[in-house]
Amino acid sequence: MNVIIDGQSFEFEPGDLLLQFCLDRGIEIPHFCYHPALSVPANCRQCLVQAGLPARDRATGDLVRDENGKPVVNYFPKPQTSCSLELSDGMVVHTQYDSEEVAAMQADNLELMLINHPLDCPICDQAGECPLQIQAYKYGPEGSRFEFEKVHKPKRVQLGPNVVLDAERCINCTRCTRFTTEVSKSHQLSIIGRGDTNYPMTAPGQVFDDPYSMNVCDICPVGALTEDYFRFKARVWEMSSTPSVSDFGGKGINVDYWVRDNHILRIIPRENLSVNEYWMPDAARLVYERYNENRPQGPTLAGNASDWEAAYDEVANILKAANGKVVFLGSAYATVEDNYLLMKLAEAVGADAPQYISRIQVGSGDNWLISDDPAPNTQGCERLGMNPLDPVLLKAKLAGGEIDVLYVLEEDPIAAGVLSADDLLGIKVILHHYHTTNETLAHADVALPAAMCVETIGTYVNETGRAQRLRPAKMIRSMNRSLMMEAGVGQSRTDRHGTPFDRWYNEDHQIDCQPGWEVLPAIAERLGAPMSYKSPAAIMAEVAEANPAFSGATHKAMDLLGVALQDIGEPV
Amino acid sequence: MADAPSLITGETKAGDWRNYERVLLPPVKDLHKIDVYEENGGYSALKAIVEDGKFDPKGLTDEVKASGLRGRGGAGFATGLKWSFMPAVDPEKPRYLCCNGDESEPGTFKDRQIFEYNPHLMIEGIVLSCYAMTIKTCYLYIRGEYIDYVNHVQTAVDEAYASGYIGQKILGTDFSTEIVVHCGAGAYICGEETSLMESLEGERAYPRIKPPFPAQSGCWGMPTTINNVETLACVPLIVNRGAAWFAGIGPEKHPGPVLYGISGHVNKPGVYEFPTGMLITDLIEVAGGVRGGKNIKAIIPGGSSTPPLTWEMAREATMDAETLREAGSSMGTAGLCILDEDTDMVAFTRRIAHFYHHESCGQCTPCRDGTGWVEKLLSRIENGEGYTRDLELLLEICDQMEGRTVCALADAAAWPVRWGIRRFRDEFEARCKAESFVSSEMGDGASTETESITI
Repeated sequence: MNVIIDGQSFEFEPGDLLLQFCLDRGIEIPHFCYHPALSVPANCRQCLVQAGLPARDRATGDLVRDENGKPVVNYFPKPQTSCSLELSDGMVVHTQYDSEEVAAMQADNLELMLINHPLDCPICDQAGECPLQIQAYKYGPEGSRFEFEKVHKPKRVQLGPNVVLDAERCINCTRCTRFTTEVSKSHQLSIIGRGDTNYPMTAPGQVFDDPYSMNVCDICPVGALTEDYFRFKARVWEMSSTPSVSDFGGKGINVDYWVRDNHILRIIPRENLSVNEYWMPDAARLVYERYNENRPQGPTLAGNASDWEAAYDEVANILKAANGKVVFLGSAYATVEDNYLLMKLAEAVGADAPQYISRIQVGSGDNWLISDDPAPNTQGCERLGMNPLDPVLLKAKLAGGEIDVLYVLEEDPIAAGVLSADDLLGIKVILHHYHTTNETLAHADVALPAAMCVETIGTYVNETGRAQRLRPAKMIRSMNRSLMMEAGVGQSRTDRHGTPFDRWYNEDHQIDCQPGWEVLPAIAERLGAPMSYKSPAAIMAEVAEANPAFSGATHKAMDLLGVALQDIGEPV
Repeated sequence: MADAPSLITGETKAGDWRNYERVLLPPVKDLHKIDVYEENGGYSALKAIVEDGKFDPKGLTDEVKASGLRGRGGAGFATGLKWSFMPAVDPEKPRYLCCNGDESEPGTFKDRQIFEYNPHLMIEGIVLSCYAMTIKTCYLYIRGEYIDYVNHVQTAVDEAYASGYIGQKILGTDFSTEIVVHCGAGAYICGEETSLMESLEGERAYPRIKPPFPAQSGCWGMPTTINNVETLACVPLIVNRGAAWFAGIGPEKHPGPVLYGISGHVNKPGVYEFPTGMLITDLIEVAGGVRGGKNIKAIIPGGSSTPPLTWEMAREATMDAETLREAGSSMGTAGLCILDEDTDMVAFTRRIAHFYHHESCGQCTPCRDGTGWVEKLLSRIENGEGYTRDLELLLEICDQMEGRTVCALADAAAWPVRWGIRRFRDEFEARCKAESFVSSEMGDGASTETESITI
């Protein structure tokens, strides 16, 4: 079955709706209320097109043709909203690219939409990424004929802990109310008032405390709903955004990290229909400060500042002296690549295979995007063949003098409740850590600041067995982020056009830390067991080649949306 | 059609209307009481159908089709045809009838007379309609402001239940149907059929996009028919007296008795029952003539949303859909508003615009923001602060609203303004400050850049 859009013929499936059909084919039709995950109310009236069906002879059902043999089209008497228009065979559509009349109707609609909109773009957080702003410039009239005072509505309304409403900016698209009704099902928002005094609001006395509340800010096509934590923090054109994966829990939520001055300032969901669709919980956004605050600068030896070479030497010496009496702890927060190298290091020093600390608590999640597992890469550890740590057994080994050295990769066994300070008496501790608040840090003989998920390249495997790639959103001192991003995928404007003098590059905010895939080969080399990898991609290629549980999971294949790994059955 | 003879003849199409015998609102005291209603032949149509099997459901639908009854709620759609849109009965799917008693349009006040004086006629009509469409539940939606009538109708419904005319096994037969009286919360938009269903379902009364039409997916997604109160009240009359009787009243294409709600500058405003096709002049005579013997300036024939007619256009026209379309307006709800020569058409149009601005539900952009802009412009003109260019702008805004929204409220808001300006332009222009307005091509509306010359 075919439809003719602006003179070009396309094949379609029954049930396809015109707007989505066009968007999927790169034909942009301006729209506000339509969202692919929500019902179609056709209320913004922006996506108007002219459409018609070929005339057919009533008796024979044959197409009626004019004197030139062209099918005669019976156009619908009224313009149609493309979001709600179901395609049918032979339908003829004229969009704004083809019909001045349609372009004029869309401009008319934008004029009406803007008469009561405050046009406060210079102070609006949405400016720069605002569908209303963008589409008003592209499709709107130049100027307005409205000469009256605009309607006034409540401003700066704290709807809930995380969402602030500016009702004057609202264009009543009802995406937010449909989100709480149809997606999060908290039913907390509804439109109140009528006519041009409409705006979304909670029931009287109610707080918009939906755990997914900030998704309404993402889908709001204007600056009416903004995230409380991000209001007035930064203009979006001063920021870079990096497509990556959240380390919040085992769901592997796809996100964009937004950075200015080399600080993570905002985390928003990135579309991945196989994982989180368009959504993420508020809690996964509010962790943004942990990538910026309490970060260590450079390695320490017994609490004293040192340098990386000296630290590597010291680690090598400790491991040599231990004669294999070492316990290696991997981490469900570290990447597959780093855990894999740790396993190789353990093998090189003759120690048992690393284990990891499992944090899964059955029932603690919400059966949606908040997982029972607060760690992002438990599956990755499992698939590498690592077993969950048995704390009782480890304590017994430590107490029994079987162990001289504890090597901890990106973990905090004391805070995790696995070990106590007493257990570590007389034990040499080597620690890769993210934060100065790491409780095991005080007992570390060598502390090696580690790159967090926003600073490294690597792979997480989510709880459903989907391998997904991390990309560096922030720059660390030892590494040129732009070089790391050279694969070219997901570069933001500042990556493509920026220079090291841009403010987002800010050296003061670069952490002196190292990713595991830099540190572990350096140590291995000193132990006479060199690991030679050009990049994390090469490490992952080796893992994917050697381990069937990672079959196909190369960095290239994972790209932006990840790779579903084959099922390995329930973890033991 | 161009060759068709004019329907505007100055001749009445209502026949011998002076001897017309009222049937919707017969002059019977206490007719709202069920025993009085029964004494006057009430519920005999119901008995004839469900007890004696006068018609099967399809037969009843065909009879209504044959009668030529057209909806009295404003759109004038053929009632029997609407009923026949209901899909075949699916035992898995409930079906609903909604009786639309949300009359809220300025100038329309006829359904309340039925609620007050002849509620059982409507109830009987509802049960008959349910029979015709095999429906087991009817929601009788009455606007919230009519709280007295809601209570009054509820009493009548309770009486009908007690007498076995509604409920399970009506009159001892296998036919059952329930009537639920539902009180609206006071919004004009709830009279729009899909909005009425949203309101019934407890949702915000935003009209739905069509298709799907209510007969496919209405209340709670089930097949639903929505009819006006007066429309349903005609059904028992058709059953009792036959389709031919009904079709013989008034003009052929738009027959039947109709309640004319006459308001404005007449001596005896009120609701008058007559055949369709009455001359507007006869109706003015019925309503006691124009107040103070003045001349008439304008007629609004069918509620505030219908385009106003000048007296020239209206004086030979009759009250039926075809003639009024030719005259340049529409029948609407037959709620006539008579405006005398002293009427300020600008103020009148502004007041109507205020109503639609206030009642726009705010779902669609053109209506939500357009109605407000129109009112602001008209207020400015009324206050002598407007410019002649504002009139062109108003007409353009009407273009920007009309036909571009989910429901017809934007059209209803645009028509009185568009036709008010077109037909009474001199009066509007006289209020405006004439101005040589050199608007920039950019249309930025910057009036400081322009030189205005007041003549």
